[in-house]
Parts: sequence; C-alpha cells; structure tokens
Amino acid sequence: MRADEATLAHLMALSQSGDRQAYAALLEACQRWLRGYYSRRIAPSSLDDLVQETLIALHTKRASWDPTRPFLPWLAAIARYRWVDHLRRLYRADERELNEELLGSDDEPAIAARISIDRLLGLLPPAQERAIALVKIDGLSIAEASAATGQSESLVKVNIHRGLKKLALLIEKE
Amino acid sequence: MTMKPLNSDALIADLVGDLAPVRPLRFGAGLAAVLAAAGISAAAVVAVLGLRPAWLAGAVNPMHLIATGLYGGLGLAATVTVIIMGRPQVGSDHSGWRWAALMAALLPLAGLIVAIGRGAEELAPDVMLYGAECLTIGAAASLLVLGVLTAWLRRGAPTAPTRAGLVAGVAAGAFGSFAVSIHCPANDIVHIGIWHSMAVLAMAGLGRVLVPRLVRW
Repeated sequence: MRADEATLAHLMALSQSGDRQAYAALLEACQRWLRGYYSRRIAPSSLDDLVQETLIALHTKRASWDPTRPFLPWLAAIARYRWVDHLRRLYRADERELNEELLGSDDEPAIAARISIDRLLGLLPPAQERAIALVKIDGLSIAEASAATGQSESLVKVNIHRGLKKLALLIEKE
Repeated sequence: MTMKPLNSDALIADLVGDLAPVRPLRFGAGLAAVLAAAGISAAAVVAVLGLRPAWLAGAVNPMHLIATGLYGGLGLAATVTVIIMGRPQVGSDHSGWRWAALMAALLPLAGLIVAIGRGAEELAPDVMLYGAECLTIGAAASLLVLGVLTAWLRRGAPTAPTRAGLVAGVAAGAFGSFAVSIHCPANDIVHIGIWHSMAVLAMAGLGRVLVPRLVRW
C-alpha cells in the first residue's frame, strides 16, 4: 500500500472509529514511512526502538488528529517530538553507543521536504546543527567532533545543549 | 500500553488489539469547553461577591472597560493557542497569543509608571491588602479554566509541554482577571494594572511549573 496522504488520512479516520483492519494497514504503512523519515537521522541501532516508540505515541495520541486536517504533518510532528526526545535522552545519559556505521541507503522519504527532520535541523544555527549531527547522530565523541569542527570541546557541548533545547521548541515549525 | 514487544509486527498486533474508538479533538469543542469554564468562573465570582457596584448603578468607566476587554482578549487568544498546541501539526503557528499579551502588558506598565509617580501611598497596608484580595480572587477564578486546558492538553499531544503550560496559565489567569474585573469596583490604573495583572503572572508561573508534568508524553 502506498503511504500517500489521502490513503493514510482515510485509514486514520476509520481507525479513530475503531476499524481494526484499517488500523493494522495504517500502522504497517506508518512503520514504513517512519523508517524512511528517520533514515540517516538516527543511529541504525536505535531505529527500531524509535519507530516503535513513535507507533506507540501514534496509538496513545490518535485522538489528537482531526479528520478535517492533513495526516502527514500530524504524524511528522509526533515523529519529530519523539526524535528530539530520543536525542535528549541520549544527551542526558551521555551515551557513547552510536559508533556503528550508518546505513548507506539512498531511499528518500516520500514526504514533503517541509516536514522533514532535515528541515527541522536546518532551523538551528550551523554550529549547533553540526555539533548535534556529529555527536548525537553520527556517534562521534566530543573530542572527535571538536577536531572535526574546530570548536573547543566545551563549545561543542554548549552547542549540543542549546541546539537540543531549541529543537524542542521548533518541532512544529516548517 | 507500557510494554514494548521485541519486534514491530508484534507491537502492531498489540496496538491493533488495543484499539478502541476515540473522539477526535475538535477545535470548536475545545474552545466551547474553555469559554464555558470561564463563564462559570465569572458567574461564580458575581454570585459569591456581587457585581461591580458602578454597573448596578448603570455607570461605566472607559479605563475599566478597556482593561476588562484586554484581559478577555488575552484569555481568548491564549486559549486558542493552547487548543492548537494540543493538536500537533508541522506548520502550526503558536505565536498569536503574544500580540494580545503585548497589548495587555500596557496595563501593568502604565500602572507601574503611575504608581512610581504617586510614591509611598501605593505601599500603604490597606492598599496592599485590597490588591492582594483581588489577586487571590483572580487566581481562584482561573483554576477551572486551567483545569479544562490541562485536561485538553493531556488528551492532546503538545510538542512543547513547557510552553503549553505557560500559555495555559496565561489564558487561565487572564480569564480570572476578567472575572475579577466584573466584581471589583476600582477604576484605578494602578490597582487594575498591577494587582489584576499579577493574577495572570502568578497563573502563568503556576502553569509553566505544574502543567508540563501532567501533559508530557
């Protein structure tokens, strides 16, 4: 099934009224859509967890979608929220488990560019965007990111902290 | 749904099994619920404390009318923003309430300027006590609206819970000050601008601290 706006909106409307067959189809389609959406914006080892967390959020917050409004911008807002939350949890836990190679997929997510994660990251000042991308997505250490960017280690940390805070406020921005 | 199955297929099966019909959050329903709560709060203030004496005598004061309108407008604008925040969508604008807040901020600003000109008389115990009474009534009259907005956000999916809490507090406090204005006999810009506005600030602070804990998802 194609994950286009009209089909997903129709399935979601049926799901809100309790149609389980439509809901199963919707979740399958959303799962595929989310994998593309998060592609290259999260470490591969975290992708499954993040997609599942987002599906659970879709489930628990399904009443917050209004059938008179488009579906994908709603799903993208949910997905961005979970993504930023995921990065912040990584930040708080100060994990260093993102060193795996990223998947080399060339698949572009079939969504409008304005709701993409790249668009969200692009709203940050370049230094903050780069610090987050290198450390929280690519899995570099602070020292490696410092060497790659020419920023001091403390500046890299400050940029990550400020960038994540700002991302949390920009989730619904186009 | 707190357990996370090992694979997505199992998770989807779980979620489908858990599906129950839901009523979508409609903008109009949210706005109607908040306006009803604000109306009940204002009616309760009038029922318990009485209507503004000047109104009973058929007199109106322009400054009081403008201030009351500004509080009502701020409450409405902030409420609309909170309702939008409960229904996330990339591309939504959450900034509309700021313009109303900017206009309403003229009240405490003007009150402060006049109070500074008057000097120590504004710090007299009876003046402070009278102001604190209105602050207390305004804060109490805002609690129902804050409760309704918090319930809305809990059902919804606010992507900026802290900001949503702050704006919910502003909306509740502004409607609380609106309710106080219907009762309070004062026409003085210092009293209205400082003490009535303080209810908005107090509720904004309360909303910012309390609401995010209740609506984070």
